[in-house]
Amino acid sequence: MTNKPDKVGAVLVLGSGIAGIQASLDLAESGYYVYLVEKNPAIGGTMPMLDKTFPTNDCSMCILSPKLVECGRHLNIETLTCSELTDLRGEPGNFKATILKKARFVDPDKCTGCGSCVEDCPVKVDDAFNQGLGKRKAIYKLYAQAYPNAYAIDKAKCLKIKKPKACGKCLEACQAGAIDHLMQDETIEVNVGSVILAPGFDAFQPEQLFYYGYGKFPNVLTSLEFERILSASGPFGGHLIRPSDHKEPKKIAWIQCVGSRNCKLDHGYCSSVCCMYAIKEAVIAKEHTPYELDTSIFFMDMRTYGKEFEKYYDRARNDHGVRFVRSRIYEVTEATDGSGNLKIRYANEDGTITNEEFDMVVLSIGLEPSEEVVELAGKLGVEVNKFKFAEPPSLTGVGTTRPGIYVAGAFSGPRDIPETVMQASAAAGDSSVILSEARGTMVKKKEYPPENEVAGDIVRTGVFVCHCGINIGGVVKVPDVVAYARTLPGVVFADEKIYACSQDSSGQIKEAIEKYGLNRIVVASCSPRTHEPMFQETLKEAGLNANLFEMANIRDQCSWVHQSEPEKATEKSKDLIKMAVNKAALLEPVKGISLGMNHDALVIGGGVSGMNAALNMAAQGYKVSLVEKAASLGGIAASIRYGMKGEDVQSYLSELISRVNSNQLIKVYTGVEITEVHGFVGNFVTKLSSGDEIQHGVAIIATGGKEYKPTEYLYGQNQKVKTLLELESELADGKLNTAKNVVFIQCVGSREPERPYCSRICCTKSVKQALKIKETNPDANVFILYRDIRTYGFYEDLYTEARRKGVIFVRYATEEKPVVEAAGDKVKVTVTEHVLGVPMVIDADMVGLAAAVLPAENNKLSQLFKVPLNQEGFYLEAHLKLRPVDFGTDGVFMCGLAHGPKNLEENISQAKAAVARACTVLAKETIDVEGKCAVVNKKKCAGCGVCESVCPAKAVSVDAAEKVAVVNEALCKGCGACSSSCRCGALNVKGCTNEQIMAMINAL
Amino acid sequence: MEWEPKLIAFLCNWCSYAGADLAGVGRIQYPPNIRVIRIPCSGRINPLFIMSAIKNGADGVLTSG
Amino acid sequence: MQKLASAIQDMAKKLLEEKKVDLVVGFAGGSLPLRSTPCFIRKPEDAEKLTWDYSCENNLANYLRKREGKVAVVAKGCDVRSIVALINENQVSRDNLYIIGIPCSGMVDRVKADEAVEGKDLLAVEENGGSLILKGKGFSKEVKLDELLHDTCKVCRYGNPVVYDTIIGDTVPDKAEDSFADVAAFESLSPAERRAALAAEFSKCIRCYACRNACPMCYCTECFVDCSSPEWIKKSTDTADNIMFQAGRVFHSAGRCADCGACDRACPMGINLRGMTRKMVKEVKDLFGYETGVGMGEKPALATFTAGDPEPFLVKE
Repeated sequence: MTNKPDKVGAVLVLGSGIAGIQASLDLAESGYYVYLVEKNPAIGGTMPMLDKTFPTNDCSMCILSPKLVECGRHLNIETLTCSELTDLRGEPGNFKATILKKARFVDPDKCTGCGSCVEDCPVKVDDAFNQGLGKRKAIYKLYAQAYPNAYAIDKAKCLKIKKPKACGKCLEACQAGAIDHLMQDETIEVNVGSVILAPGFDAFQPEQLFYYGYGKFPNVLTSLEFERILSASGPFGGHLIRPSDHKEPKKIAWIQCVGSRNCKLDHGYCSSVCCMYAIKEAVIAKEHTPYELDTSIFFMDMRTYGKEFEKYYDRARNDHGVRFVRSRIYEVTEATDGSGNLKIRYANEDGTITNEEFDMVVLSIGLEPSEEVVELAGKLGVEVNKFKFAEPPSLTGVGTTRPGIYVAGAFSGPRDIPETVMQASAAAGDSSVILSEARGTMVKKKEYPPENEVAGDIVRTGVFVCHCGINIGGVVKVPDVVAYARTLPGVVFADEKIYACSQDSSGQIKEAIEKYGLNRIVVASCSPRTHEPMFQETLKEAGLNANLFEMANIRDQCSWVHQSEPEKATEKSKDLIKMAVNKAALLEPVKGISLGMNHDALVIGGGVSGMNAALNMAAQGYKVSLVEKAASLGGIAASIRYGMKGEDVQSYLSELISRVNSNQLIKVYTGVEITEVHGFVGNFVTKLSSGDEIQHGVAIIATGGKEYKPTEYLYGQNQKVKTLLELESELADGKLNTAKNVVFIQCVGSREPERPYCSRICCTKSVKQALKIKETNPDANVFILYRDIRTYGFYEDLYTEARRKGVIFVRYATEEKPVVEAAGDKVKVTVTEHVLGVPMVIDADMVGLAAAVLPAENNKLSQLFKVPLNQEGFYLEAHLKLRPVDFGTDGVFMCGLAHGPKNLEENISQAKAAVARACTVLAKETIDVEGKCAVVNKKKCAGCGVCESVCPAKAVSVDAAEKVAVVNEALCKGCGACSSSCRCGALNVKGCTNEQIMAMINAL
Repeated sequence: MEWEPKLIAFLCNWCSYAGADLAGVGRIQYPPNIRVIRIPCSGRINPLFIMSAIKNGADGVLTSG
Repeated sequence: MQKLASAIQDMAKKLLEEKKVDLVVGFAGGSLPLRSTPCFIRKPEDAEKLTWDYSCENNLANYLRKREGKVAVVAKGCDVRSIVALINENQVSRDNLYIIGIPCSGMVDRVKADEAVEGKDLLAVEENGGSLILKGKGFSKEVKLDELLHDTCKVCRYGNPVVYDTIIGDTVPDKAEDSFADVAAFESLSPAERRAALAAEFSKCIRCYACRNACPMCYCTECFVDCSSPEWIKKSTDTADNIMFQAGRVFHSAGRCADCGACDRACPMGINLRGMTRKMVKEVKDLFGYETGVGMGEKPALATFTAGDPEPFLVKE
């Protein structure tokens, strides 16, 4: 017996933005129970406020909402809204968390989200979600697509809460009886094994910087306000107008670094995301206006360092005509002519001053941690850095100073969505490592009665038409619709419900199934997107297959949008029900499919990323094969001496290698390559050049990268010209101790037409090395010749330090690159200085070239695993924003430089993320799919292969011997692209067949 | 009475159909002459569906995804 | 032409004798001039039946699917394009095919020839430079070849086979880009006018499916018109269903049609089928820069996607 308490297989996730959601989903899918604690009445965080996202221009809400729904509905994620973590006791593996659940005054289980209460509520409040640009009521839903889809009452604004007799209109309006003004706060305690802090960030309040005129001039906006203006669900319905007079702006300016890179405010860090979001806002704003919109971005350094960012910047400049002005802003004033226009006075790079007038000014505000969260961190014993962020300890990616507590998202440092998502997965991964022995101990599973066989039975459809209080019934004549439904073929029962989604209605539907022998159910009510799973539960509880269900959306897409045309809305409802009934008659049970799976992992690449992935995986109890092409482990880190925070990389690496080599669960193969890959998720068989054959369920690609060998600046011809990695060795070995003049040249091979991407790490690396030189020899002159200094996040601090210590930064233009010439035992570097525009000559003892980060040769592997590469040869993830380590092909993940340039810390974090994602697959006993997939009618198939070409999931291929298409049900997502492309009609989709869709079309 | 076209829309469950729901949540009013068919992905739209809809008398077909 | 015919015979004989192929698909002369028909030669001694003249219009790609053993085919430019398309769609194995490519400057439209001799019986045809001398009982008429060619041949830019194992005959000169002048008239119509024009044309259709059967690319085991579950279209000759049939047929051939004109020639009702197929050929070319069957291993335009694909259907507010 040990005194150590048992580990708890549950995790508390604080904050439900994209980081909290991702961490919760990864954990819940990996066999842990999750308490998701959110202070707002709905989950989602910042993403729902954003209009579009860079660099894909995807609609933020569109990509988020499937995750919201999945998270909200997950059996093993308990969402606690209006809640705060107040105390945490215990130790890693076994904490007791105290949570304060504030009164919501609306029972989310009873609230149907119909919104009747809002219409009657007399209190108007500034809508914080819309950044105060619009109004909401005292009873409100955070945003239209919110989960839970339920209202809440703003305690401070509600009349009745203040004075019980004052109002109560919402009570009368609510037919579901969901409102209770007497609801009390509640404190609960839960046991968890670990905690993930993902509380997000606060936007910088720009009033503090009076010279920008924010708060004084109505047409000076924050970038978040501008997002709401662009958003179709925002205060102006997506119409780009300025708040003061609702005039369409013709000329808009963005001012960068508002509240970032500002040492006076203790904000000496770069907020990392503002350059890209400003470019995106400018591009999207241009898309919004039918006229030519003039957009200018005032910036110091353009920091488009992320994956696919540089190309986005290039397109904005060259294709969309966004103007970029390198400048310093003095002040923003309002025009005196009463136009509401704004004047910006700024200094250009050459020192000249310009005054320019704009219709609107957008301040690109930075990110900062919220004060409450910093306070909470203090209480939890989590130390924050000098900027109050919970910066993870070196080379952990997600750690905090308190064991068992992890951090993800902007609270760990400013970061964009993909990096947040990655870090969230990584935090889930590290949590899983310490809790692996308790995996599966707290999760719930639901059991259902056996399904009735309905094959061959006569169709007996039951139709339930919902009034949704007055939401439907107030417009659509529900009794007429029910009477009509009774006349439709196959319908043996039709009834109306006040709320079809209420508990008692569910019971009544079950009774009707029993009593009338119903074998197809149609519910005409709200949207299947929100309610179908709930009704399908009812069917399953009644012994019917969930797929024998169909919905007619007569609320969201009928009564709500045709409020003044009740006759036509009633007709439309009848049509929608007829379509649903026609389709229902052809519905068949869809059986889930379960396939066996192998629970081992293959990690390709034995660098820092690959080794971290292997170790993290093994720590969770999975067997790993680690394959390295080179003769020994280490990857490119073998030639790195210092980390970005000064870490001793070599000792880190040797420790890592020995941990890998001594791990019983990891089998290392060095000096071999992958020659063949067969199979699919859960069932891969991979052959190595050594002849070994590895069976595995998942694969993580961590093939790393390499340093570009420059062809420019005398590299390879002159001993005094080195790449940064080479220079670092010299530096570490003391060979530069006597150098007087050292020159760094940035962007060598990066941001060039043949390699249009930023290598991300070189600016920081150069600054770091410059500081190292200054440290050993303060008298040395160090010059950094750059295009933009991209020391993002906290690395900005290094840049500040370097300038303070006298490192000289000289910007050069691409059309006038520095010239490097041999000059005896020195090299002569000539560069045109950016302020005076005159050439400057440096007799350098050493020139360091910040050479690009290149991908490994990935073509063969990408073909073997059928996963794509981007234009530059890095692996291309399933979604640049929300699936940063996944591939479209299930069961294959990536991390490290194989994905794109990144530093050590980021690679480690990404490796953990890839493991977390892979573990969501491995945690399952079998591969279970819903079964709504494509099926081939072999008799009709001509084997032409069009399905194989169009399938995005690589789930269908033409069998070489049989010459017909074969669907891999484990991979098929049921999108139906194959079926639509199949001329022969050989492909159909279960659950959404050609026959069913035609039955709907023919109903009209 | 003014002529009103009859429209059929094939909307992807994940985006456009959600958009149509959102129009409802926002109570954005539009003419009631459109019938929506929800599909799992715009890839599911067989061109023959569109032709059949037109043949069945639809004056217009909206595909969105 | 005679020289070509004997070279084809020699080649066929050689291939069969050396057992390089089991079958040669080519053309045999008809009983009347300009009436050549497809023929299948399995023995070396039968090779002399093969011919080559201005009436070898059929697309022989039609006869290559589901063949056992090795097959040689006598193929014009358009035949080769269809063959390439079929190879790209796994329907024909390149390994089992021997292509005897014949550069082709166009085939004679028999309807035009009949019109030239006012419907009189044509008994002999002689070649005379750029003209043909059409002879019959009591008449002999010299007509410029250009006036007799099929419309499809006049705009064909691929007279020279793009892929072959051997080539017989001299290459034909390159032609200018197809201007699709014939499609312009249709394109200038309003939607309502287009609908009326299609209705007028396809009201003639008797749903004999000859067009479909003549098309080398229409090889589905079950055509969508024959499918009963779902019943995509009615089987009767209602004009709306006829239009749907043709629209479906043309859509299914998008990015796969080599504009060989086989459908058009097969129609017993004289419907202008190429009017529709050519519109689709033009659309595919304009949108994707894609032409059928001119590159081995290419995927049909509609079976691929790139981020750079044009999206003319997206309307900007």
